[in-house]
Amino acid sequence: MTETNIIKLRGVEKRYGSFTAATGINLELKEGEFFSLLGPSGCGKTTVLRMIAGFQEPSEGHIEIDGVSMDGVPANKRPTNMVFQSYAIFPHLNVGDNVAYGLRGRVAKPEIEERVAEALEMVELGGLQKRGATELSGGQRQRVALARALIMRPKVLLLDEPLSALDKKLREQMQFEMRNLQQSLGITFVMVTHDQYEAMTMSDRIGVMFQGRLMQVDTPTMLYARPCNREIASFIGEMNILPAAVQNEQAETSMTVDMAAFGKIEIEKNPNVTNRAKNIIVGIRPEQLEISPDKPADYPATLQGTVSNVAFYGENVHYHVKTETFEKPISVSVPNYFHTVDFQRDDKVWLGVQGASVIDLGQDKQ
Amino acid sequence: MSAPATLYVGFLVAAPLAILIAYSFWTQTYVTLDKTLTLQNYRDALADPLVRHLLLRSIMIAGAVTAVTVATAYPIAYFIAMKANKKTIWLLLITIPFWSSYLLRVFAWKLILGFNGVMNSALLWMGLIDEPLTFLLYNEFAVVLTLAHAWAPFAILPIYVSLQKIDPSLLEAATDLGNSKFQAFRRVTLPLTIPGIIAACLIIFIPTVGDYVTPSLVGGSDGKMIANLIQVQFGAANNWPLGATLSLMAMLSVGFVAIVLVITGTALGKRIR
Repeated sequence: MTETNIIKLRGVEKRYGSFTAATGINLELKEGEFFSLLGPSGCGKTTVLRMIAGFQEPSEGHIEIDGVSMDGVPANKRPTNMVFQSYAIFPHLNVGDNVAYGLRGRVAKPEIEERVAEALEMVELGGLQKRGATELSGGQRQRVALARALIMRPKVLLLDEPLSALDKKLREQMQFEMRNLQQSLGITFVMVTHDQYEAMTMSDRIGVMFQGRLMQVDTPTMLYARPCNREIASFIGEMNILPAAVQNEQAETSMTVDMAAFGKIEIEKNPNVTNRAKNIIVGIRPEQLEISPDKPADYPATLQGTVSNVAFYGENVHYHVKTETFEKPISVSVPNYFHTVDFQRDDKVWLGVQGASVIDLGQDKQ
Repeated sequence: MSAPATLYVGFLVAAPLAILIAYSFWTQTYVTLDKTLTLQNYRDALADPLVRHLLLRSIMIAGAVTAVTVATAYPIAYFIAMKANKKTIWLLLITIPFWSSYLLRVFAWKLILGFNGVMNSALLWMGLIDEPLTFLLYNEFAVVLTLAHAWAPFAILPIYVSLQKIDPSLLEAATDLGNSKFQAFRRVTLPLTIPGIIAACLIIFIPTVGDYVTPSLVGGSDGKMIANLIQVQFGAANNWPLGATLSLMAMLSVGFVAIVLVITGTALGKRIR
């Protein structure tokens, strides 16, 4: 993977009348990476994708693809191809003609046939050229849409919620297939999704958008471990958010915080946090909390509470623990094989947490 | 459950058609009907050059009307389906001519195209012509113009519906795959609206072949069509069997042309890739 930037967005903004769909988007995508734009619906992620594709012009700012400014370049002249959310399979054409669509009139017929066969092979639809567009299953439609875009050998492949129309099993299978395909082709993929698991499993990097703004761009691991604020912390996975007071900032990278009834604990400063004050919020992932009938040893911060809810998920069990100090119950997740004690509703339990599991989320805006 | 439909079709379609077919094999003998089965009516009709001439002309005129109507309706339907904001208002405006009687609209065209009509008066007043134009009215041109105007909504609506059904992302996909707007229209929009175009053609072509009001009012002797001859058989000539024969011949010709139209239209659509 080279470190060349294939796409650059500089100060991109899109307004529709008085509504701002996206603003202040600065983003550089590396060649050959799988990048996801993640956010709730209406956050502007599709608008950004459509501006890269050329279906919408930015109201402000500039987009560059492979070093060329895309100002005024229409969608049909851009080195990008798109997989649409609805797949947009041409209903009047068969699979072969759908895949060949973009090559007709540009490439000689024998070459078209060769490339169509190759593209269909690649998405595991080999030999289905003559199949009618209306006779395809959801998964097959998705594969045809992929083949139709990839046959154009785009510099960037854009995917608009590509898996949202598929059922769960197929979606998981396609996640792996698309990831493998992307890695073997080395093409930059930019995917828009509202599904955090999809973004996490497939992407090299994820850009999280809220209300038209790009809030954090990071690897899935960092996004999970070091979210920059409350919104991202609760959007990516589950997070217990607690108030905390900064005691002293001994070092560059660490500080002691007072988590009310949990007590004082030394935690790492989150490099992604920009606004830190005396009163901050911290996050603890449910699976990183210890839950036990007795006060756990070796945990610097502990707290007693009562189990208020138990949910069995199969691979793990979720407990809601009500405490006297915190308004919201604290969520704890325990792997199914791991725990030897089953807690019931109204059981008295102890919670424990290590400093490494407490995430500094900075000053809360709310 | 299908009983009402069967009765409906039976009484209103099959029975009248059966009577018509029966009549075509009978003979009119002054005031009575000779019910001996005979093919004489068919022989007479086929031998008569006037019948052939009128039938052919009817099909030609209906073809011209269909072509003109669909060609003018398509852009209107396209505008309403793809560009217009207030689609309902546009569709309402298109149906406005139906609020007045068809006969009145034909008469209106007579007033516009006539010797002392609106068109000639205007051209004379502007000094563009010295004497009234006579080729405007009482010929095939007048028939085509009047009918094309009358049928416009019947062509616009089915084409509009087929355009409306097109998923906009299909056109975006075509653009994304390198097509210009025109190429996307030719390769996606047009083939997907062929069913609408065929429907419009059939809706217009079939009744136009049998129209007799318009040709008798604005057609003059040049614009007479097969239905005018049929009307005479059932009226002044009092030869119902011959009229029935002519009707059936017209029906068969129309059916044949319609089938050819559907087949070629569909095949042409399939060729666009």
